Amino acid sequence: MLLSDLTASARRLALVGLAKNTGKTEALATLLGELRACGRTVGVTSVGRDGEEHDVIDARIAKPPVLLWGGSLVATTDALLRASGLPHDLLDQTDVRTPLGRVLIARLRGAGAVEVAGPSGAVQVRAVADTMLAHGAEQILIDGAIDRRAASSPDVADGLIMSTGAVLSDDIEEVVTQTRAAVELVRLPTLAAEPEHDARLGSLAAAAGGASLLVGEQGDPALLPPRFALSAGARELGALLDEHPDARWLMLAGALPDRFLRELVTATRQRRGRRGGGDGAALTVVVADDTHVFLAEKSLEWYRRQGIVLRVARPIELLAMTVNPVAPESHSFDSAELRARLCEAIADVPIYDVRDPDYFALAK
Amino acid sequence: MRSLERGGLTGRRDSVTVPREVDLSAVRPYADHLGDGLVQMSFTLPVPYSLAVRKAALELAARIGFEEPEVVHFEELTEGYTYFVMYGRCTQTVDFAALQGEGFEIEYMSEDEIERFAAEHLARKVVVVGASTGSDTHSVGIDAMLNLKGYHGHHGLEGYHAFETHNLGSQVPNSVLLAKAIEVNADAILVSQTVTQQNLHVHNLTELVEMVEAEGRRAQMILACGGPRVSNELAKELGYDAGFSKGTEPQHLATFIVRELAARVSAA
Repeated sequence: MLLSDLTASARRLALVGLAKNTGKTEALATLLGELRACGRTVGVTSVGRDGEEHDVIDARIAKPPVLLWGGSLVATTDALLRASGLPHDLLDQTDVRTPLGRVLIARLRGAGAVEVAGPSGAVQVRAVADTMLAHGAEQILIDGAIDRRAASSPDVADGLIMSTGAVLSDDIEEVVTQTRAAVELVRLPTLAAEPEHDARLGSLAAAAGGASLLVGEQGDPALLPPRFALSAGARELGALLDEHPDARWLMLAGALPDRFLRELVTATRQRRGRRGGGDGAALTVVVADDTHVFLAEKSLEWYRRQGIVLRVARPIELLAMTVNPVAPESHSFDSAELRARLCEAIADVPIYDVRDPDYFALAK
Repeated sequence: MRSLERGGLTGRRDSVTVPREVDLSAVRPYADHLGDGLVQMSFTLPVPYSLAVRKAALELAARIGFEEPEVVHFEELTEGYTYFVMYGRCTQTVDFAALQGEGFEIEYMSEDEIERFAAEHLARKVVVVGASTGSDTHSVGIDAMLNLKGYHGHHGLEGYHAFETHNLGSQVPNSVLLAKAIEVNADAILVSQTVTQQNLHVHNLTELVEMVEAEGRRAQMILACGGPRVSNELAKELGYDAGFSKGTEPQHLATFIVRELAARVSAA
C-alpha cells in the first residue's frame, strides 16, 4: 500500500519528524503527489515552514518544494501566499500572528509551489484544520517542524506519519534504538490496559478539571499542588508516597518532564527500601497523551524496569513511517538495510523510503 | 604597509556612472557613491605570511566573483597564518523591492512610547520570565535584554514601569523555567540559546514550546527566543512567536511584547 492508502482514514493527518532532515517534507511531497493523482481535495498547513528553498539552520541543504494544485486549500501567511504568485480565493483571515506574518486560509485556483507556514500552537492548528474541512477539504495534512510533536496530539490529529533518518546518528544501531524508543512513546498503552480501573480513573481525571491527582485503588484521591510535575523533587515525592502508601496511579494534567521521572525513581526506590523490597509499590503515571511526555537519556523501558509504568488517556494511531537514509552533508546508510533493521525492531507499521526505487515500484 | 583608507581605488572609480537614486530592484553594496558595489572583507588564510599568500588572496577574491580585488592590509596573525583586509567590487545585485512588504518590518517604539502604550492598552504590569536554557552557559544575551543596565545605552526591561521581570540566569532546565513562568503568571517567556547545527540546541528550544503546549498555556504565553543565529524564519520553525538576533536592543523586544500582548487581549 502507498502512503496515501495507509493514511486515508485520518481526516487530520500529522507528519512528525524525530529531528530536522528526517525527510518529513519529502514524505509530504510524496503524499501530495499521490493525493493529487487520485483527485482528493487536500488542505495543507505546517507548524513550521515548508517549501522553503534552503534549510533554515544549514543553508547548504536544499529542501523539496511543496507543490499544490487548483482546488487545494492552504493555511499560510499573507506574505508567503503573495510570494507564491499563485491565483487563489481568500477563505478566511485568521487572528493567528506568526513571526512570518498573519495566517490566511485560501483555495488555490492554479497549480504551483507555495511556502506553507500555518499556526504553531496546537489549538490554532486544530482550528485551521477544521476551517479547511468546513470549506470542503477531504483530508488535512499537518506538517511538523524539527522534532515538534504537539500538533500530533489526538486533540489535534486523527493519525500520524513519523519520519526518522540517518541524521539521528552515524551508528545505524543507534538510529534504530532511538526510532524504536520514539515509536514506543507514541504507542504508550491507554488506561484500557487496566480495564478494571479504566472507568473510575477516567471519571476522576474529568472531575479533577486540569489538576493532578494521586490515586489508590480505594478511597479519595489526593489533589496535588499546582506545577507539581514541573517542580517536585524526590524528597517531596517521597513524603507524598509515605502519606499515601496505597497510591497506585499518578495522574498528571500537564507535562511530564524527564526530571520528574528521575526524581520519582529515587523516591520509589526509597519507598521500596523502607518496605523491604517487593514490587507492590509499582506506580503508574497517567498523562493525557504521548506529546505530554518529555524523556531525555533514559527510555520508557528503563523506567519500566525501575517500577514506573506510563499510560495515556488518549492514544494516537501511528499509520506509517518514512525513513531518510541520508544525513545531509554527513553520512548515509544503505536504504534497504536501514529499513530491514527498523522493521525488525518495530512491529506492525509499514516503513518506507519514499525516494527509493522500492517505493516507486510500489506506486506502479 | 598601506593604511585602511581606500585611496588606491579612487582613480578607477571615476569611470563609474553615479546614479542619484537607489534602484530598489537592483541594490548593491555602497561605499563612496551609489552603485559602486564596493565590499570590504577580512579573512585569514592558514599559510605563512609572504608575497605568495597575497597573490593567493587576490585570486581567491576573484574566484568569489569580486572585480578589481585589492589587498589593502595583510599581516601575520600568528606563525603560519596570514590575515587580510581586502576590497573588491561586487557585481551582483539584489531585488530589494520584491522583499519589501513581506511583513518582516517592525517599527520600534522608544522607551517612553512603550510605557505609554502599556499604560493605555494593558493597565497592569507585563510579566516576563527569561533564561538561557539547557546546557547553554551564556547569560549575556538575556542579561542585556532584561537587566536594568541593558545594552547599547538602553535600559533592559527591568528598568521599565511596564514590566515585571524574572531573570533565572543560565543553564536553566525547561521544566524549571516553565514552573516559574506559571508561578508568576508570566505573559512572556524569553529564552536565549546559541543555536548550532547540533540537534541538541534546537531540541532545547523546541522542548520548551512543547512543554508549554502540554501545560495548556500556549495561547496565553508569548514565547520569544534570542541568540546569535536566531531569525524569524528559525523562530517559526521552532514554534516561537518571535526570534531576536544580534543587534536587538531591549526596546525592540519590549515593543514586540507589549504589542503582541495588546493584540491578544483585544482578541480575547
